[in-house]
Amino acid sequence: MVMKSAVEDDDAGWGLGIPEKVKNSANWVDITHEFKNSCKELNLGELLHDKLFGLFEAMSAIEMMDPKMDAGMIGNQVNRKVLNFEQAIKEDAIKVKDLSLPELIGIIDTCFCCLITWLEGHSLAQTVFTCLYVHNPDLIEEPALKAFALGILKVCDIAREKVNKAAVFEEEDFQAMTYGFKMANNVTDLRVTGMLKDVEDELQRKVKSTRSRQGEQRDPDVELEHQQCLALFNRIKFTRLLLTALIAFTKKETSSVGEAQKLVAQAADLLSAIHSSIQHGIQSQNDTTKGDHPIMMGFEPLVNQRLLPPTFPRYAKIIKREDMVAYFSKLIERIKTVCDVINTTNLHGILDFFCEFSEQSPCVLSRSLLQTTFLIDNKKVFGTHLMQDMIKDALRYFVSPPVLSYKCCLFNNHQAKDYIDSFVTHCSRPFCSLIQIHGHNRARQRDKLGHILEEFATLQDEAEKVDAALHSLLMKLEPQRQHLACLGTWILYHNLRIMIQYLLSGFELELYSMHEYYYIYWYLSEFLYAWLMSTLSRADSSQMAEERILEEQLKGRSSKKTKKKKKVRPLSKEITMSQAYQNMCAGMYKTMVALDMDGKVRKPQFELDSEQVRYEHRFAPFNSVVTPPPVHYIQFKEMSDLKKYNPPPCSADLYLAASKHFQQAKLILENVPSPDPEVNRILKVAKPNIVVMKLLAGGHKKETKVLPEFDFSAHKFFPVVKII
Amino acid sequence: MATMIEENGPSTHEQPDVSSSSQARQKLEGLLNKNMRIRMTDGRTLVGLFLCTDRDCNVILGSAQEFLKSTDTFSQGEPRVLGLAMIPGHHVVSIEVEADSLDDAQGFGADH
Repeated sequence: MVMKSAVEDDDAGWGLGIPEKVKNSANWVDITHEFKNSCKELNLGELLHDKLFGLFEAMSAIEMMDPKMDAGMIGNQVNRKVLNFEQAIKEDAIKVKDLSLPELIGIIDTCFCCLITWLEGHSLAQTVFTCLYVHNPDLIEEPALKAFALGILKVCDIAREKVNKAAVFEEEDFQAMTYGFKMANNVTDLRVTGMLKDVEDELQRKVKSTRSRQGEQRDPDVELEHQQCLALFNRIKFTRLLLTALIAFTKKETSSVGEAQKLVAQAADLLSAIHSSIQHGIQSQNDTTKGDHPIMMGFEPLVNQRLLPPTFPRYAKIIKREDMVAYFSKLIERIKTVCDVINTTNLHGILDFFCEFSEQSPCVLSRSLLQTTFLIDNKKVFGTHLMQDMIKDALRYFVSPPVLSYKCCLFNNHQAKDYIDSFVTHCSRPFCSLIQIHGHNRARQRDKLGHILEEFATLQDEAEKVDAALHSLLMKLEPQRQHLACLGTWILYHNLRIMIQYLLSGFELELYSMHEYYYIYWYLSEFLYAWLMSTLSRADSSQMAEERILEEQLKGRSSKKTKKKKKVRPLSKEITMSQAYQNMCAGMYKTMVALDMDGKVRKPQFELDSEQVRYEHRFAPFNSVVTPPPVHYIQFKEMSDLKKYNPPPCSADLYLAASKHFQQAKLILENVPSPDPEVNRILKVAKPNIVVMKLLAGGHKKETKVLPEFDFSAHKFFPVVKII
Repeated sequence: MATMIEENGPSTHEQPDVSSSSQARQKLEGLLNKNMRIRMTDGRTLVGLFLCTDRDCNVILGSAQEFLKSTDTFSQGEPRVLGLAMIPGHHVVSIEVEADSLDDAQGFGADH
């Protein structure tokens, strides 16, 4: 980017003098010899330049003939003519009719590979538009190829529109530039799917007519034709289903998402047949040219080389045909998962859904589809619910605030209604942003989570004020009820979740050094998880208070004996999980302190920074949060000082304590009624760590100078400690 | 602006061999900000404003446009905008300037 902006600046600064006559004027005078001789008179290292141009400006020039900077070089080193579509037709280098079945299959497969490479973040010019056929499908006479070319353009166009709309991509994820190519905009979606369907029907007839009949001697040629027709049929059908599914996503009704799910499932059924027929397609003819592109009919990898920006060239390595089907099947799996989101009704459930989906680092298309399915036209959730209603439901589910209870006098009180409505309205934007953040790639999420804390800090402030106002209102109307810290608790809960996620993601992204682990885990266990648990239990007791009041009201009205059943508390699972996480963090914290005591943690030579600088940098985003207040380095040092214990613990004590924490986490998790994969993942870390800590407490390999290893393969946030 | 000039240093230096080297320097300075056409070893031609050079004949052109070989019919006349570009001296095949602009660049092209 630096280079690009530099070039733009230069255009402003140095571009004034380019006269129009440059193009046509032929009055050039050769001065090569004199120029070179004059240059030789200059001193070594001396730059001859204009007063306004210096070394600084010179630095931002791109260096010609350097393959890392000069994108134009590649196109020029190939010993063949680079033809565009029209020229290729003129020179008979490309067929537009009477293509053989293997040619069609080969072209389609290569196009699929280009499509995938584009979806993985390369530019259209270097991927899909290396296929000359898509440059102008009108010139294609072969109906199957024409329909396919239009189909693939439509797929690109809709995918691009979706990704742009969802706005959860960065330059490393996706290139939205179309370089002025037409994306089949002159043909309607319906017309294209219709064309594909016609081709499909035609092929199906051929497949049927070449099918083997009982008792008939099989002609190998007919059998081959049958196989090839079938292969082409499957590819055309796949294209149509993919396109129709994407079109379904553009519709506004929720029902169309279900339809899309069915369509991609049908497309997935074709994949194994496509995979087994790859060999029927023609292969690239020669691979001798420079660059990674296979050269085959209909494709010219260098056709758009001159459209590329003057930044350093990026090489698009088109994926192999063998990997194509595997990618498609994963993509379809992801799209199917995306469709499931509409079955989640609760805002917290949706948030969890987004978190979980993001954990598998999905592609930009599926991430974008999830976003656009969630908020259709940025107004209503799934196109039907108001975000405000979703937030109210979430509040009811989490803290049951009296103001949202039908049985409370506040529910119909105008003033109370105004308060809560304006609060909920203010909530909706930050919560939409929060959900959008989970659509970004993992690395960008962390950065954005740090920033959104500021917005949540403002909400926190408002929530506390609204709580206070509602409480005083309620005290007048129903003195036996309270409205204390309901909304505040809910916002605090989200604050804490974001903070925890922010810190934990640093482990996943491998940002922390080993010597930093101890304060990160300390902050999590002693502070954030402790706060989270107290917040959850406050919400739980608020729920219970509300239920009690409801029960009493019911009893008062009907003499029917309400059956007392022990209900599972809605938040109990989350409280349990938080306890387990807290124990894991505490165990890791004590492990790290003990390892440090034994000299088994490598520390940097702090010259230009110090631990305090690093600590403050790690927790910097928390400074915008009021509740919980940030723990400053000095406070942390005081709070974690081991000298306040008498006698101060030695490393063996700490290992033992760590072992107990891991043991505790294991106990908690083993009692979870229906363990999900996450529970099992934590257990996989807790169990070996219990043993390792016990061994270390017993003095195992105390003398070894080899540093321990931290293996994050079982869990993203908690490593298995390995002593070698 | 003043600071920038200082940073960039004076464009001329004291020379022992005053006669030939100062003349060469003067010639080159006369070409500054003139339109220049440079052919490179791989056949491409760059057209842009001459901004800077050094002893090894490395040349920096501003607002450079890239033209492919003239034999290539396809891309002829369709330049690619490069912006600021440096051509290493050993890749420079030929250098040309616009004739009209030579009027005030003393010394160059005179004996042609």
